[in-house]
Amino acid sequence: MRERRRNKLMVEPPSSATGDIAFNLIVFFLVCASVQPDSGRQQTLPRSEQESEEQSENIEVQLGRNTVMLNGNVLRQEDFDAALKRALTGKTRDEDRVVVVKSKADTPYYHWVTVTEMIESAGGIITIQTEEEQQVVVPGG
Amino acid sequence: MYLVADVGGETNRQMKVKRRSSQADVPSMAMGDIAFNLLIFFVILARAQDDSHLQWQPAAAEEINAQGTAKVSVLIDNDNKYYVNGQQVGASQIAGEVDALLGDAPAGERIVLFKVHREAQALYFEPAIEAISEVGGDLVHVLEKSQD
Repeated sequence: MRERRRNKLMVEPPSSATGDIAFNLIVFFLVCASVQPDSGRQQTLPRSEQESEEQSENIEVQLGRNTVMLNGNVLRQEDFDAALKRALTGKTRDEDRVVVVKSKADTPYYHWVTVTEMIESAGGIITIQTEEEQQVVVPGG
Repeated sequence: MYLVADVGGETNRQMKVKRRSSQADVPSMAMGDIAFNLLIFFVILARAQDDSHLQWQPAAAEEINAQGTAKVSVLIDNDNKYYVNGQQVGASQIAGEVDALLGDAPAGERIVLFKVHREAQALYFEPAIEAISEVGGDLVHVLEKSQD
């Protein structure tokens, strides 16, 4: 039997296509990189005109560099959650569940985020209170 | 083309003269390089508009959700500098910049991504929160999932 002769052909890929392939690869990776969404937590803060006037009855949380106070009582962060839930028990109206958060100037963001997350999960409505502006009168001016 | 030579008033011979034609092809190899350079140019241009080049570390939280795209991002980097959509601004300019970018967008489309370096202090991030809230932005804290 006669063996069929094999034709060995060297087929070179067209070099003009490599640029297009590289281009398409870049576009693909760019699109992949740009569609990665940010993840986080939405927070609704009442606007200043919506704040209730009876602020004295609101729950007050004071934050320091690594401390947390609930209505003037210093608490450990582990105990804060339970104490806040107790304070919010029986409060059904939105205006009663307002928690005023006052932070000292050196309060770090990660601490603020942790505490406000606890307040929101306990059902509180966060409102922040920044330091009141003080009018300083310079004598003899 | 045929040229007819008239010799002595009598046409007795025809001469064919071939005109040289040179082919000038645009090298197709260069197309990829041109496209690549254009792409790099636009990527660099786009990077100046976003905040991916800024230095900050997100704070951790237990519950986080994937957020959609937002028109506006406010960032406080590790040097406590403020940026709105990657452009550095002063604390007093945040409200105006965010308001201009949000325009008349309806509720639900007023998302403002708030990216704050985890060690930034209340002195810096609270005025920014206040400014976003003031102009009716829907504040979204950009955080990472806590490891524990």
